[in-house]
Amino acid sequence: MNVHLTINGGSHTLDVPAQLSLAELLRDGLALPGTKVACGEGTCGSCTVLVDDRPVLACLTLAAACDGAKVRTIEGGSELLDRLQAAFTGHDAFQCGFCTPGQLMSALALLERSPHPSHDEIVDTMSGNLCRCGAYEGIAAAVAQVARVNG
Amino acid sequence: MARLVRTEAVVEGRVEQRYTVVEDDITPEYDLDRPPGVVGRPATRVTARSRVTGAATFTTDVRLPGMLEARVLRSPHANARVAALDLDAARAVEGVRCVLGPADASTLGETPALSDHPEFAGAAVAAVAADSGAAAEAALAALAPVFEELGFVTDLDSALARQEFIEEPSESERGDVAAALAAAEVVIESEFDAPAQMHNALESHCAVADWRADGLTVWTSTQSIYQAREQLATMFELDPERVRVICQFMGGGFGAKFGLGAEGVLATELSRRSRRPVRLVFSRRDENRAAGYRTPARISFSIGADAAGRLQAIEASAVMGLGTGGWAYPILEPAKALYACPNVHAMVLPVKQNLGPAAAFRAPGVMEGTWALEQALDEVAERVGLDPLELRRRNHADTDPGTGRPYTSKRLLESYDRAAELAGWDSRESLRGQGRVRRGMGCASQYWWGGGGPPAYAEVRIGAAARPVVTVGLQDLGTGVQTACAIVAAERLGVAVDEISVRAGDTALAGHGPFSGGSMTLASIAPAVRSAGHHVRTQLLDLAAEMFEISATDLTLEEGEIRSVDGALRHPITEVTSKLGNAWVTGSGSRAPNPEGMAVNTFGCQIATVAVDTATGVVRVERVVAVHDVGRIVNPMGARSQVVGGILQGLGFALMEERVIDPTTGTMVNAGLEDYKIPTLADLPEIVCEFVGQADPHLGLGIKGLGEPPVIPTAAAIGNAIAHAVGVRLRAAPYTPRRMLEALA
Amino acid sequence: MSRLWTYERVGNAARAEQLLAGGGRALGGGTDLLTQLDRGIGDTETVVDLRGLGLDGIVVEDGRLRLGATARIADVARHAEVAALFGLLAECAGSIGSQQLREMGTVAGNLCQQPRCWYFRHPDLRCWLRGGDTCYAQIGDHRKHGLEPGDCISVAPSDLAAGLLALGAEVETNRRSMPLAELYRRPSEDDRSTLTLEPGEYVTQATVPRPADKSAYVRVGERAAWSFALAGVAAARFGDEHRLAAIGVANVPRLLDPADPLAGLPGLEMTAWKRRLLSTLVDDAVAAIAAD
Repeated sequence: MNVHLTINGGSHTLDVPAQLSLAELLRDGLALPGTKVACGEGTCGSCTVLVDDRPVLACLTLAAACDGAKVRTIEGGSELLDRLQAAFTGHDAFQCGFCTPGQLMSALALLERSPHPSHDEIVDTMSGNLCRCGAYEGIAAAVAQVARVNG
Repeated sequence: MARLVRTEAVVEGRVEQRYTVVEDDITPEYDLDRPPGVVGRPATRVTARSRVTGAATFTTDVRLPGMLEARVLRSPHANARVAALDLDAARAVEGVRCVLGPADASTLGETPALSDHPEFAGAAVAAVAADSGAAAEAALAALAPVFEELGFVTDLDSALARQEFIEEPSESERGDVAAALAAAEVVIESEFDAPAQMHNALESHCAVADWRADGLTVWTSTQSIYQAREQLATMFELDPERVRVICQFMGGGFGAKFGLGAEGVLATELSRRSRRPVRLVFSRRDENRAAGYRTPARISFSIGADAAGRLQAIEASAVMGLGTGGWAYPILEPAKALYACPNVHAMVLPVKQNLGPAAAFRAPGVMEGTWALEQALDEVAERVGLDPLELRRRNHADTDPGTGRPYTSKRLLESYDRAAELAGWDSRESLRGQGRVRRGMGCASQYWWGGGGPPAYAEVRIGAAARPVVTVGLQDLGTGVQTACAIVAAERLGVAVDEISVRAGDTALAGHGPFSGGSMTLASIAPAVRSAGHHVRTQLLDLAAEMFEISATDLTLEEGEIRSVDGALRHPITEVTSKLGNAWVTGSGSRAPNPEGMAVNTFGCQIATVAVDTATGVVRVERVVAVHDVGRIVNPMGARSQVVGGILQGLGFALMEERVIDPTTGTMVNAGLEDYKIPTLADLPEIVCEFVGQADPHLGLGIKGLGEPPVIPTAAAIGNAIAHAVGVRLRAAPYTPRRMLEALA
Repeated sequence: MSRLWTYERVGNAARAEQLLAGGGRALGGGTDLLTQLDRGIGDTETVVDLRGLGLDGIVVEDGRLRLGATARIADVARHAEVAALFGLLAECAGSIGSQQLREMGTVAGNLCQQPRCWYFRHPDLRCWLRGGDTCYAQIGDHRKHGLEPGDCISVAPSDLAAGLLALGAEVETNRRSMPLAELYRRPSEDDRSTLTLEPGEYVTQATVPRPADKSAYVRVGERAAWSFALAGVAAARFGDEHRLAAIGVANVPRLLDPADPLAGLPGLEMTAWKRRLLSTLVDDAVAAIAAD
């Protein structure tokens, strides 16, 4: 199926199988492996990317359904993402780092939509991204710090 | 000069004898009382940039030209024989390059990676490699396996009755337990059921193998690249020097990824036969069925004490469910070694079941053994009417109870005092409340090894730009060991930590480094890095001495400068290194053995505060105070992260994590993360973390390991806190609303 | 798992009806459908994406609420007017899944999702609900299962359905309009579906006729966030009338009789705890909607 999508600002017209997930398209088709797949069934948040500014699970998103969409991944970069990356580093908000791209994309979506989230809002939003190393303390602190600077 | 010495190391409770090459070490001893400087100051991770940008290449991200995708056919039955398997049909599927059946597994070492008698649901039967994942899956369907189902055993009771063991049952005794129990003023009987906790590292087991005429390269998510290389060389009869194992970034392991797993074996065999690179990544469901778990166990105690709470005897037994593999993790070691008890008898029954093989999981054995023992100890305290912390103080072991050996250092009593202070232990009785929500506070002790040891080698080099490179033959699970290596090197070289690059995770790079496990990695490698760094330092100072016409002994390296001790001379290091042109100054270092005849252990205490909603059964862990004695802290920031992460895994064990096996089919019903729950950010309690340990005077740099200690006491402290809150002790974890409501009914 | 179906984003109702009548399966956010298909549950030849039908409105008008079938759960949860007048639904929507699942998931998708049961969703088993002979749950481990006796003891998970039932919502399809409770049916020997939708029929919107005087949603999950409810109870008060609805306790979202809320929900030995939990949640919900 032919789809036209914008990925990290670049325009792509692609012929994709109906069943292909957005995660597979990004990782295997477009050599953007920063988006990770850890469960493959929408339970862990590792594959979180932004589709039309919404944080979605790329493993359960059909590439064919993204026709006309604006997709952003960890490789995309933005001023806010830079600040989140620095805050994640400064707060030791990861250990192995496998969930980190997904965590960052969730945090990015949150702060774009809600520049001054409450603590509860941060906890609620970021709870969809599992971290088995247990870096949650740093993650919450990093998001809160960037939110404070926003204000 | 290099020497060969024999040394003894304790690896997760098992004593190993090893020969190791050590070089004469000219490095001055690290001053034990030295206040935190470069070593001991918080540092962010040297790998941070790669990890936050998505640039880090994990095994699952490796893409090679012509790479094939592999898939594995697994048995859906708890025990079966393969009656039919259409390998030819699978080979005929378009895009399929290689198909392996059970008969092809005989070449793959002792434990067949594929079997025509799959003994658990999820056991591998066949493997295929194809041009695409879809083609590989089509080939699996074409295999059309026919299984003849056989009887199976999955629960502990039936497994014990069947009397098949993964290892022979073992027992050990000191003193006369029967007599001491008979004479004890207080005896408690206590039994606990520990669940099987699944690792669920977010990067599943995976490997990419590239078999070429001139050698084999395998990328794999492993906690021991050197062990994996050795296994590959042996299995495939290759010259080890022509086998390269790479694990540059690893998405967690927690004990389940030692050496080469089935994923590495199968990817390599498929690559060998197809002459193409092959990638095999386990699905989450296969990960949970076939790649290991913390052993479920039934742990029983009879504990005798005198009226003052002094332990007289411990009779301990444990039935451990090892599935089809693993080893008897030291589950009763806490009962034998944590307290000064003269009479201890311990019996371990490691039963075989029709389940996947067990694997080490962060403090294997000791975590679940501590969970049980420390709750039984609270029952003793209650019976003798003693404060639980006081009971533990009274039973403090001044020397190792099993061997009588002195400890290299032990600050457990200080840990109790400091944890009690931080937690407000003395006012815990006022916490409880009268309403529907009851609060309670509970404590638990921590015991583990973690002194590290040889062999471990490191190389340090510096070039014109004065940006040192540290090369170590280890892999970083995500613990931050590379950052710690940079810190240790920075101290010797007088440069900022972020000026240093660390290269690791590749057997082609450096000499042998430690595996990542047993809380041994940093304690093993750090002295080698320091020694290598010191060699470079000495050479740099010699060069500077010549340039500036001053004695090298009057010079020092600090803050990027070469300085004279009297402060009169200050030059940037680059003033010397720039003369090197394209040359390097290099140094190497090795790890010296630990002192003989001494016990090297870590200790600690955690105190948890919980709130129990007695009407819904929901338990909330509100606060955990963690005080650990692990020697010198190299990077307080990374150390805190280890503690927080360990506590969260302990909290998961306590509140929500449990493999569920269907009794009718013997299959796992919660192999996905929607039913197997691990903690989220919302489950995070307030965590107060401190370290009481100063440097260990008998170990290089005074460092002991921190990987496992924080996970060990958390669940026990939570169990004790719940009992304190509601007056009922739950005998099985996790403490779900169901178990809580059943216990309170 | 192989995916062998085709995908079509339909642009008009006729095409949607045609494909769905021909055995296609409706896709909203895909979060339940794709996981089912990957596990071999309810195979299909066509995945029919309904998001192009313009059914994503959330409209509050004259005290009446219309939730379009493909409105995102997250948009319901953070809609200011919904929060002001139908706070119960904002609460229910906000407690669903994870943030990402709420951003993807749709109103109709949430209402029409299949029950939760670890046997039903087990890739290697074909249980009674999937057309087989055996309810593995009843002879196996049903610690989290339903309290209502029957051929199947899986549980309905839709938090949103609980809220809508308590508020007396209607649901509209491309063919008819009915009380939400009538969207659901208990699966039977000859029809294992939990929905009353006919071939070719799909939900277009849910409507709530009026706000409650007071409402509340209480639920307990398996961890502090991102968990299907072990049980959830929505309560709404309209003057003297109390309406209670529960999920996590039966095959379908269930209206409870305020006078005897546990009626018909005896449970089994392994789920006795859940009766106690449900009873607590009912008490809590009722207490929360008491007149000031």
